[in-house]
Amino acid sequence: MKKIRSVAGREFMATVTTKGFVFGILIAPLLIGLLIATVPRYLTKAPPKIEGQVVVIDPTGAVTEGLTAYLTPERFAERRQKTSLEIEKATPEVIRSRTSAVPGARTAVKQSIDDALGSVPRLQVVALPGGSDQEAAKAPLKVPLPDHGAGPDTRLAVIIVDADAVRPADGRDTYGTYELFVRDKLDDRLVDDLHAGMRDAIVASRLQVAGFDGGRIRVLTSVPRPDSRTVTAEGERTTNKELNILLPAAFMILLLVSVMTSGQYLLTSTVEEKSNRVVEVLLSAVSPMELMTGKILGQMAVGLLVLALYAGLGVLALVSFATLGLVDPFLLVFLLIFFVLAYFIFASMMAAIGSAVNEMREAQSLMTPIMMILMVPWMLWLPLSREPNSLLAIVLSFVPPFSSFVMLLRMTSVSPPPMWQAWASVAVGAVGVYGALWFAAKVFKVGLLMYGKPPTFGTLIKWARMS
Amino acid sequence: MANAVVLRNLTKTFGETTAVSRLDLTVPTGALYGVIGPNGAGKTTMIRMILSILFPDEGDLSVLGHPTALQAKDRIGYLPEERGLYKRMRVGDFLVYMARLKGLDGQGLRGEVQKWLERVDLLDCEHKRCQELSKGMQQKVQLIAAVIHRPDLLVLDEPFSGLDPMNQRQLRDLVLEEHRRGATILFSTHIMTHAEQLCDHVVMIHRGQKVLDRPMAEIRDTFDPHRILFEPLDPGADAATLRSMAGVVSITTDNSTWDVALDPGASAADVIPRLVAAVTPSRVEIRRPTLEDVFVSIVSGGAAAAVDDDARLRAAVRDGGSEVRR
Repeated sequence: MKKIRSVAGREFMATVTTKGFVFGILIAPLLIGLLIATVPRYLTKAPPKIEGQVVVIDPTGAVTEGLTAYLTPERFAERRQKTSLEIEKATPEVIRSRTSAVPGARTAVKQSIDDALGSVPRLQVVALPGGSDQEAAKAPLKVPLPDHGAGPDTRLAVIIVDADAVRPADGRDTYGTYELFVRDKLDDRLVDDLHAGMRDAIVASRLQVAGFDGGRIRVLTSVPRPDSRTVTAEGERTTNKELNILLPAAFMILLLVSVMTSGQYLLTSTVEEKSNRVVEVLLSAVSPMELMTGKILGQMAVGLLVLALYAGLGVLALVSFATLGLVDPFLLVFLLIFFVLAYFIFASMMAAIGSAVNEMREAQSLMTPIMMILMVPWMLWLPLSREPNSLLAIVLSFVPPFSSFVMLLRMTSVSPPPMWQAWASVAVGAVGVYGALWFAAKVFKVGLLMYGKPPTFGTLIKWARMS
Repeated sequence: MANAVVLRNLTKTFGETTAVSRLDLTVPTGALYGVIGPNGAGKTTMIRMILSILFPDEGDLSVLGHPTALQAKDRIGYLPEERGLYKRMRVGDFLVYMARLKGLDGQGLRGEVQKWLERVDLLDCEHKRCQELSKGMQQKVQLIAAVIHRPDLLVLDEPFSGLDPMNQRQLRDLVLEEHRRGATILFSTHIMTHAEQLCDHVVMIHRGQKVLDRPMAEIRDTFDPHRILFEPLDPGADAATLRSMAGVVSITTDNSTWDVALDPGASAADVIPRLVAAVTPSRVEIRRPTLEDVFVSIVSGGAAAAVDDDARLRAAVRDGGSEVRR
């Protein structure tokens, strides 16, 4: 046991002190967070100025006015203001309270939102009578922009309104629409604004023609959608629909990342020991079984560290958003149990492959089927989390190595399985672990001192039977 | 005295290839045994079976009184032929780790490591990464890893390969020191002079079979080629004057050196005074059998011809030895 502890200790330290681990596991997430926080700021700090003409060929004569009004800088600013308020409203209370507590933070947040929405375009709507030459109107769109960018006279878009867009043609009760032609690489936000403006102008004209009061209808048809509230024994809280879908995914990603990270490190270190020829020195001091066990346990500690780190960050995030209550602590216990089960199966395979190959390149072909197996629960995440009690979900939650992933997915879903199924899955997983370790131990013993031709899975099975 | 290693009828095959075939070997406690043989003879496979890194298909073995080395790993030191270190690990840390795997306690271990590093002039390398060391230095580090726990049985597989003469001497002294301490030493080599210089006893393996298993002194006696190397002081002296002398079978001349073959019944002590009286020499030397002669003759003559067949071996040494010299 002391030797296994020594091997495990070296394995753990040799992994967590590498630059790759420190950067990949610790610094990379920090950097990503930093980038997410800062890059959009710089990207939208100086959004391109939008300036130019929008030509409208309007045979109805009733749309241009509405569009012109919609595209005035004042109306743009008004809409931006509204969106800004909506974003602020959607922001969790905890962040809102913090930003208002810090001097200047509120202004900074508002500025960021404004930046993200872009600057207010300066557009001139030019109306052409119906029957104007459409090709001639579109021709300026093909002319490349001058080096200094678009100016007030640059044609940005041409809109051709159908003659029956406001009044249906005789004998029909359906309306026509419009066509929109834009210059190459026009800001997609402006395109959205043009569509919205046309819709607004055409609907307003149609209502007017039909003798309705547009403003009145808007008021009558407006029903603000409230957030649903989840009622629990602890009280009421806003239902977080996204979290219901994301929580199972988050748990599975945690499981996958920790299992794959540590399994990959185990493979690398085993191949390294074999190709460095240090393995024979080790085998003179420990048995193959002690070596394999020590390595698997050492890398399990690495996996647990990764798991603790990321799960800890997740819990911290939930605490920050005052949504910790959404996660049952019992699930965290099961996350740990399923990690151990999934890890042992995956690590056994990695140890077997690592001992069998001469270099990492040779390991790739053997790794492919294992990685595909690991990807199955990930690919089935959405259907499984939406239908956690489907036949497929139930069957997969009792088939190692899928069982750990699928059962965790089901347990974190909106309709978790009964507890006996969870424990039965754990039991089946434990049997899977035993089988995987048995196979790995046999292959490990033979493979470690085998050099030469890269083995296939068939070779590994032959070794297991031979050993 | 109990035996450190006993192999009985040991056989190991890899697919169609028989690496070791029905090998018997007994290494007494405290002995210094050399295992010699050409590349691919089966030396390393035999050593790996002794250490329970590989397991025999047939036969029994006993290592330090146990049926498997797994029960005595902490009492065995091993320097494998395929050298390996953790490249990024620091030398001191590697040795502490290996010592721990060999069952030593953490207390005072660092001091012990430093003592050994100092012993092989590597104290300044304690904090260097293994990959920063030269090949010879790495080999010395590995040897420390093999002996740091003061093993009862030290197994060295080709310990001198790749070392310069200075390091070879240092290594040889260290091995002898371990032997004096009481450790049983079993080492394999294909450099015969090392076996001659170090061993009490030589075991020769060829094509997986043991073809020789004798004390060094006995080999010298048994395989005495009965030859005298004679260099006349006068380069113009005629060798024919000695050919008719009693006890002399033939004389082969090679530049200024005469190779005098003696009758098997004749004694060099009797013949030399008569040779010297007949022709004044600048040098006279009794030709001793070298392991290289024995080795080459067995390898070139075929193992089957040599197995326990002293007479044929002796003949092979005579003929092959002179050929080699020429």
